[in-house]
Amino acid sequence: MPIIVNLDVMMAKRKISSGELAKKIDITPANLSILKTGKAKAIRFSTLEKICEILQCQPGDILEFREEEEET
Amino acid sequence: MWNKTKSLQLSIILVRVLFVFIPLLMLCVPVITEWYDAVYGEGIGLLGGRVALPLSICLYLAAVCGMVCLWALGRLLQNIRKDEVFTAANCKHLRVISWCCLLAAIPFGVFGIWRSLSFVVALAAAFFGLILRVLKNVFEKAVELKEENDYTI
Repeated sequence: MPIIVNLDVMMAKRKISSGELAKKIDITPANLSILKTGKAKAIRFSTLEKICEILQCQPGDILEFREEEEET
Repeated sequence: MWNKTKSLQLSIILVRVLFVFIPLLMLCVPVITEWYDAVYGEGIGLLGGRVALPLSICLYLAAVCGMVCLWALGRLLQNIRKDEVFTAANCKHLRVISWCCLLAAIPFGVFGIWRSLSFVVALAAAFFGLILRVLKNVFEKAVELKEENDYTI
């Protein structure tokens, strides 16, 4: 998928663990892992809002659009 | 008190009973076809004469489809018991059951040459297969929606 989730980068910058973030945004660590590994198909605005609030960042800091490279 | 668990258990038992009953019934096919020939010797159809052999072949082929169908039904019910309803495996089982019904319609359709009434059975089997095919399509869509929902964080 061309949308890249840079949550782990932002978490490292803010020095926050997965468990702590999951607890603060009120989602399960399993779901946070799905989000971090890019397996998620969609993200709710409410979840994004909480992540941005906790990590003190913008949605663009977490989500990035990268065009897929075509195989030659 | 009757509940969903007991209903599911009853379905599983019925499938298992039929799974044993069909092979036993198949052992009696020569007797059944001979009896049919003796009692309904003069039936309506394009071809006349004895029908013991084509009826036997038809019943054996339908039994194979029936057995595969029951096996898939059993697997489907086992998955439902494990609370795994909208899964790709269940879609596969429904597809197998649907194809079995459609395939079972073929021997009955062919037997319709000897006995026209058999066309009704073939049509019923094909129609049932079609209904199951639509159900399978619904299941496939449900699996897709469930996956999307499960992966929405």
